[in-house]
Order: sequence, then structure tokens, then C-alpha cells
Amino acid sequence: MVNIIDVGLGNIRSIEHWLDRSNLLCKRVPDVESITDDVIIIPGVASAGEYMRRLKKTGLDKEIIERSGQEQKIIGICLGFQILTDYSEEDGGTECLGILKGSTKYIDEHKTHNGWNSFYLDTRKLSKNMHIKKKQKKIASGRVYFNHELKVELDCKAYVKSTGDGVTSFAIQNNIIGFQFHPEKSQKTGQELLELIV
Amino acid sequence: MSFRIGATVLIGHNGNAIQSYGFKKKRILGNLQKVLKFLDAYKVDEIHAIVPFKGKGDSGSSRIFSHLSELSISTPLGIGGGITEINIEEITQDPFFERCIFNSAIFNNPELLQKTKSIMGHQSMVASIPFIIDDNLKIYHSKTNSFQAINDELWEEIGSNFNEVLLLDARAEGTKKGFNFQVFKYIKFPIDRILISGGLTKCDINKARKMGLAGVSIDNFALHSEYSIEALR
Repeated sequence: MVNIIDVGLGNIRSIEHWLDRSNLLCKRVPDVESITDDVIIIPGVASAGEYMRRLKKTGLDKEIIERSGQEQKIIGICLGFQILTDYSEEDGGTECLGILKGSTKYIDEHKTHNGWNSFYLDTRKLSKNMHIKKKQKKIASGRVYFNHELKVELDCKAYVKSTGDGVTSFAIQNNIIGFQFHPEKSQKTGQELLELIV
Repeated sequence: MSFRIGATVLIGHNGNAIQSYGFKKKRILGNLQKVLKFLDAYKVDEIHAIVPFKGKGDSGSSRIFSHLSELSISTPLGIGGGITEINIEEITQDPFFERCIFNSAIFNNPELLQKTKSIMGHQSMVASIPFIIDDNLKIYHSKTNSFQAINDELWEEIGSNFNEVLLLDARAEGTKKGFNFQVFKYIKFPIDRILISGGLTKCDINKARKMGLAGVSIDNFALHSEYSIEALR
């Protein structure tokens, strides 16, 4: 039963549809009491300041940090990836969860990054301590959808892939997985990816 | 960043997908769910689902969006038409979409824009600007159902509030007569954040790509399978 963090922000319904298409069960987690030991997804489509404010109000910020240290798999999508870092420049500067050492900065010259980029993940290239289950299918490839104005810059050891224009596309550090793109809205590739990681 | 080939779907008040011609005549295309599923299967780069507001007091948008939220589609979705202070909380409480498309709020509702930005993020903000060109550029204001002149101050507001602009050639909408590229003489917004729609031909799409626009949003071309999306990419 996948946990989807629900603080009243983010495209939760799209995440539910994404999981449902792969016959994965999920539940919304609005508070600390509802969370279980299964995969946690932090959705995107929100702003960092308001999202962190609501996470703190519910106590889910501390709970997610604690569970990340206990090797529970956590998947952050778009903003959900950005708030895994220490700090984001969005909303005048926002202190984030600090699960991944690094920060989230506006793309150079305040450019935006909207559209599709190519994607390739071969799970055989990942080290053994990364929480990707061994499955018959090893590779997800195709194109994925981005819509963001800030980018993650990591300052820690992780498996990181970037787009041609210098945006961190995704990062995997043991049990922590962050996608800057929206796998839930990346058509066939997003579905293949889901089946590799959850 | 790749050039995007999106599709616009207009939604009638009974929840059907409709096709508009020249911003006036309308024709029912069919069941909205089927149309969206078709576009999803067709792998367009994004879908703009808009309830044409056109001065109506209650467009029934909340009900239509609620119905839309039940659809499982894997294509990026922007919604617009009739988003107001009254229903913004309801619409954004459980989003099934990535982007919000505004028209009338561009003119006089900075509070609504600010609120949406704080909930959805600036990257989600899209301005829908239907236009006509007579002696000068005039852009459509859905609340008053009229085309109005645009000044520098309004361009500045659009620049700060919106991530992208969707320019619709109102006179060419639903036709193949060609998009009026003269509009770019008047536009004060970064060109790489502009999508165009209305009257698009294959040549127009190639021209838009060469100009460095963000993309295009096609209407009945995609819906009637007249062009292959893959071929246009």
C-alpha cells in the first residue's frame, strides 16, 4: 500500500491514477498516524514555501525525515524531489527536509524548463544498496515530461542523471529516489518506470 | 527543450467536447472522456482542456472539472475557464492536472493569480490570450466577452504572473487558414514561453519551431487525425 503524502497540495489524483494503472494500491496520508512502512511518495505541483509550511503543521516533515533514516523508500516527484534537499530558493527562500544534501535553485536567468526530454535507466548500473527490486525488466527508456523553474543541485554521493541542458533529471541515493520530471504524466515511459521502482 | 505539440479541447456546459470555429460557431465533437482518452493514446505532448466562459455568470466549471478528475490519463493536462475566487480552493484541493489556464483574471484579479501561484507554483500558470488584429492588437476578456487593447502595464503583469502564454488566433480558430504571425510585432513576453493556436497549418508549425516558440496547441487537426503527431515532432 503506497503512501501518498496529502497536505492538500500537489497532483495527488494524478499519482493515484498512475499507480492504479499498474494495479498498485495506495492511500492518502494526511497525518503522522496514517503513515505505514511501505513506499512514501511526495507529489509535485505546488510551491515549496506553502508545502513545507503544511508538512511542518502536520508533523509529517519530522516523520518523513525519521523514516528516511530507517531505510524506508521515499520517492519525491518534481517539488517533492526539490524539498528533499536542504534549501530551496522558491518563495523567498525555504528551509526543506535536508534528506538529500544539496539545494534547489532557480534555473539560470530564471528560465523555465517545460516539455519532454529523453530518459534512460538501466537498473543493472545501480549499486546493490540502492532500493530497486530485482525484476525481470531491467530498463526503462523513452521520454519524460518536465514542468519546473527550479533545479536540484546535489552535494552528496548519489546516482544522478542530468538532461542535456544541465537540469538534474533524477537521483537515487539508497532508499531515496527523486524525479524532477513527472513520471505520472510521462505516458508509457512513466508506467515502465513505476514498475521498476515500486 | 523539445518543441511541444499540444491539443486544445473545449468543453461545453453539458460536459461534451466541442469544436469552435472563428470564436463563434460551435459543433459538438462528442463525449469528453472519449476525446481525452483518444488524445492520451495519440501521445500529444499536453492537453489544454478549457471551458469557454464568455461572460457567463456560472460556467459550471467546478462540476465539469470534478468529472474530469475521474479520468485516468497519462498526458500532462492544463485546465481553464471559469476558475474564480469561489471555486479555486475546491479545484486545487485535489488536482488531477498540472497547469491552470487563466483569461479574465489577467485583467483584474491579481489576488486570484497570487493565490493559485502559492498553491500550485508559478510553473503551473498559463495565460490564455485569444487575439484579433485590426489596426492594432486586441486581446479577449472572457468576463466582458469583448476584445480589448493591451498596454505595457498589462504585459508587465502577464510577465510576472505567468510561466507561459497560449496565444489563440481567434479569427483563424477551427480553420486551416493559417495563424496570423503578425501578432509577434506586438508581443512583449519571452518567445520561448509562448504556445500558439488557431488556424495552424503544417507550415505554421514548422515556422513556430524555427522561431523558437515553446510549442503549438492544435484543435481539430488532432481530434480528427488529420495530421500525425509523430510526423509533426
